[in-house]
Amino acid sequence: MMGEPLLAVRNLSITLTRNGEHLPVLNDVSFEVAPGEVLGVVGESGAGKSVAGAAVIDLLVPPLHRTAGEISLRGDRLDLMKPRQMRHVRGKRVGFIFQDPMTSLNPVLSIGKQLTDTMRAHLKLGRAELNRRALNWVERVGLPNPERILKAAPHELSGGQRQRIVIALALCAEPEIVIADEPTTALDVSVQAQMLDLMRTLHKETGTAMVLITHDLGVVAKMADRVAVFYAGRVVETATAAALFAAPRHPYTAGLIGATPALDAQGNMQVVAIPGAMPGVGALPPGCAFHPRCPRAQADCQVIVPPLAPLEEGYAACLYPLPARSAQ
Amino acid sequence: MTAARSLFSTVRGAPGATLAAFLILALFLYAFLVPLFTADPFRLAGMSIMDSFTPPAWMEGGNAAFPLGADDQGRNIITAMAYGLRTSIIVGVSAVLIGLVLGGALGLLAGFVGGRTDAVIMRIADVQLAYPALLLAMVIDGIATAVVGRERSATLAIAIVIFAIGIAFWVQFARTIRSSVLVERDQDYVAAAQITGRSKLAIVLRHILPNVMAPVLVIATINLGIAIITEATLSFLGIGIPLTHPSLGALIRNGNAFLQSGEWWISTWPCLLLATLVIGVNVLGDHLRDHFNPKLRGRS
Amino acid sequence: MILHFVERVLQTIVVLLVISFVAFMLISTLGDPLGVLLPPDATIAERNALIARLHLDQPLLQRFWSFISGILQGDFGLSYRTQQDVGAMIAERLPATVELALVSLLFTIILAIPAGILCGVKPKALVSRAIMLVSIAGITLPNFVIGILLIAVFSVHLGWFPSFGRGGTVDLGGWTTGLLTVSGWQAVILPALTLASFQMTFVIRMLRTQLMEVGHSEHIRFARARGLSETRVWFVYAIRNALLPTVTMLGLQLGNIIAFSVVTESVFAWPGLGSLFLQSVQAADIPVIAIYLIFVGAVYMLINLAVELSYPLIDPRLKRRSA
Repeated sequence: MMGEPLLAVRNLSITLTRNGEHLPVLNDVSFEVAPGEVLGVVGESGAGKSVAGAAVIDLLVPPLHRTAGEISLRGDRLDLMKPRQMRHVRGKRVGFIFQDPMTSLNPVLSIGKQLTDTMRAHLKLGRAELNRRALNWVERVGLPNPERILKAAPHELSGGQRQRIVIALALCAEPEIVIADEPTTALDVSVQAQMLDLMRTLHKETGTAMVLITHDLGVVAKMADRVAVFYAGRVVETATAAALFAAPRHPYTAGLIGATPALDAQGNMQVVAIPGAMPGVGALPPGCAFHPRCPRAQADCQVIVPPLAPLEEGYAACLYPLPARSAQ
Repeated sequence: MTAARSLFSTVRGAPGATLAAFLILALFLYAFLVPLFTADPFRLAGMSIMDSFTPPAWMEGGNAAFPLGADDQGRNIITAMAYGLRTSIIVGVSAVLIGLVLGGALGLLAGFVGGRTDAVIMRIADVQLAYPALLLAMVIDGIATAVVGRERSATLAIAIVIFAIGIAFWVQFARTIRSSVLVERDQDYVAAAQITGRSKLAIVLRHILPNVMAPVLVIATINLGIAIITEATLSFLGIGIPLTHPSLGALIRNGNAFLQSGEWWISTWPCLLLATLVIGVNVLGDHLRDHFNPKLRGRS
Repeated sequence: MILHFVERVLQTIVVLLVISFVAFMLISTLGDPLGVLLPPDATIAERNALIARLHLDQPLLQRFWSFISGILQGDFGLSYRTQQDVGAMIAERLPATVELALVSLLFTIILAIPAGILCGVKPKALVSRAIMLVSIAGITLPNFVIGILLIAVFSVHLGWFPSFGRGGTVDLGGWTTGLLTVSGWQAVILPALTLASFQMTFVIRMLRTQLMEVGHSEHIRFARARGLSETRVWFVYAIRNALLPTVTMLGLQLGNIIAFSVVTESVFAWPGLGSLFLQSVQAADIPVIAIYLIFVGAVYMLINLAVELSYPLIDPRLKRRSA
């Protein structure tokens, strides 16, 4: 276990209320982020990763409700905070990067205004200083002509440029940790790599920790120090990135890695998809949620929900995990 | 579930709409049953002028025979209102029907024939949107006055008002029906059925009807509220329905003259009744619109 | 973009011509101008002079052309009811209606916009629900009922405001204003409130719907995620987005407001264009009715055009697409 974590989420459960029913979206989810670390949160669409991210800064909208769990930021209990206190955490201590740059920015306000507004809400600075910093941020995220950009409205920028501004907005109040929810998914493939490079540079420069939520293992491989794998509302494995890719312990993780297009020794593309589909909210099978698709499933997998148990390196929620690195 | 049954269960689940529905039913019964049992207070010569200006029964000088009071000619307000309400309802419903028939015909024409005819009809529709029902109705009344003079029989006046208001409503009906025609006209089954010898028009009509019923019903209800208000306004202004065969608006106009001198009940009761009728129709219209709105259907 | 602009302007002109033609046909087919406008003992010379003035001896299309060019030069014809120049009659009544409309707009801005914002930001609050309930009255009650009610309460019962007339007016050389005297303001309050009742209801409901929608949008969510205060989120970010469609829709409702001004002016004996129109309808004064028709149509079409063409300017999102 690490020393004092920066962000600790423990036993987080979130339900969705629909037609009078309460369906579990997140079940007893726990993960941690150390200071200055990048935690990759990976899983398929609908696994609950985005919901977990939003829950940290209480950005959930009914019909989603947090029903259990503790969220601590350097020991401060975010889950117990009143909305007023939460407002001071958002932006100032926890930054958030939204997925779709086309809808995240207010269409009728200039970029400069949105930047200075955000900084003004958290930092006590004069107008001149705010403008200077805004200019500085636009440069730091790699946009040319910062003066012009500050005056521009969002629709004048391309998707990639807008996402850079979104990143600037998330970082400009100098938070301790940034949660990035699928930051590159909505971008062109050609732009994605640049965006990740930018994020990694900024991460190194500022020392800000990051929770990088994505469905793309390639992104995780490139950026993350540690990884948490989500499946059907639960964390099924956490490990360092190195350990995860070298020897995944949970069969689902192994399947994900195998399903990632990769070139084999002859340079041919290899893809092995996991048969079946992840169960949706409210359609969870008994026992381990993955057992219907798992090649290693045994009889008791259909009955017992495996807890996230510590292994040699990291954790896995599996009754019959794959062999560890050292055992190979 | 058929549309009718699902509507019924929705109404049951929505107390506001149910209340409105019952209210309207009660008003209908009041308007159409009372005249069956009483003499028309606006036809009788030699009204009891002695009873004129009798205040409501609970006030000083009141009379139990006149629970809501009597007007300036001694007519029982309750009776007068029933006749007035009846006229208001008939005019409102008829105006909507005229709009429906006219709009339906033009919509069918525009959708079927297409081309120039369609373009012309739609342009006229666009232009007409500039003029609210009230304004159009006033213009038509002005034209009617130029043609037949201001003195006209009550029947003619009612007919003119119905026509004047109804003509404002054709646009929405026409648009809805035209869209439906455009969708159905080129479907395969139309060509297929044509082979069996049925006319294209009959086929399309048969398939349009179920599709347009819902939006037409919603438009009709909303326009009914507008029609009732417009007629009341015209009558209040003196260019609608005369006092010899009055509507609620005419009654309000009559009573307004006495408001300043203190006989408030002559126009207040018709005002309240009118407001109740319109609120009922509008609430029902709102619920119908929400019920048939596919976007809102998912929520409950 | 320029092409689109020109196209729309041409379309508007065509429509206005059609409306004018309809109005013109009304004038030329209904009523008897010579019988109405000539005194019974008119001489042949006077009769011929009138015929020439009204272009009655010319073929139809030429008369239409005279009609149009007359309007463009400010000659609106002669009233059948008063034998006066229609243009002069309108000019005389115009200030009253314009001031009434302006004051009612003032009421709408001062009362309805804050109320609408309140209802949109905090829809569940007791005040909001109360406002929404009252707003139902604004929609369902006929305009004249509201007027009568206001008179009954504030004029007859409380005696605060007069129930008819404009109060004391000041002649500013062509424009008689009632806004420079206390009694003028007293007189305009109730009619302006009545006229505003429809607009206010509309604005409150629209703002509420728009704000509730905007409140769910992604960029508002992002603004919250950045820790901006609720006040700032709503007032700077959300309201600007909500106000825009509200104002444009209100502009398009102008026809309704003009229609209701007829009723309001009648209830309060307000000497404006609306009551002029009513008198003209009662007397079958076709020339005035026809001019009114053109006037209302022109206002609607021009506002429509202005809104359509300025939308890309106001809402930056549309600028790019139409360019």
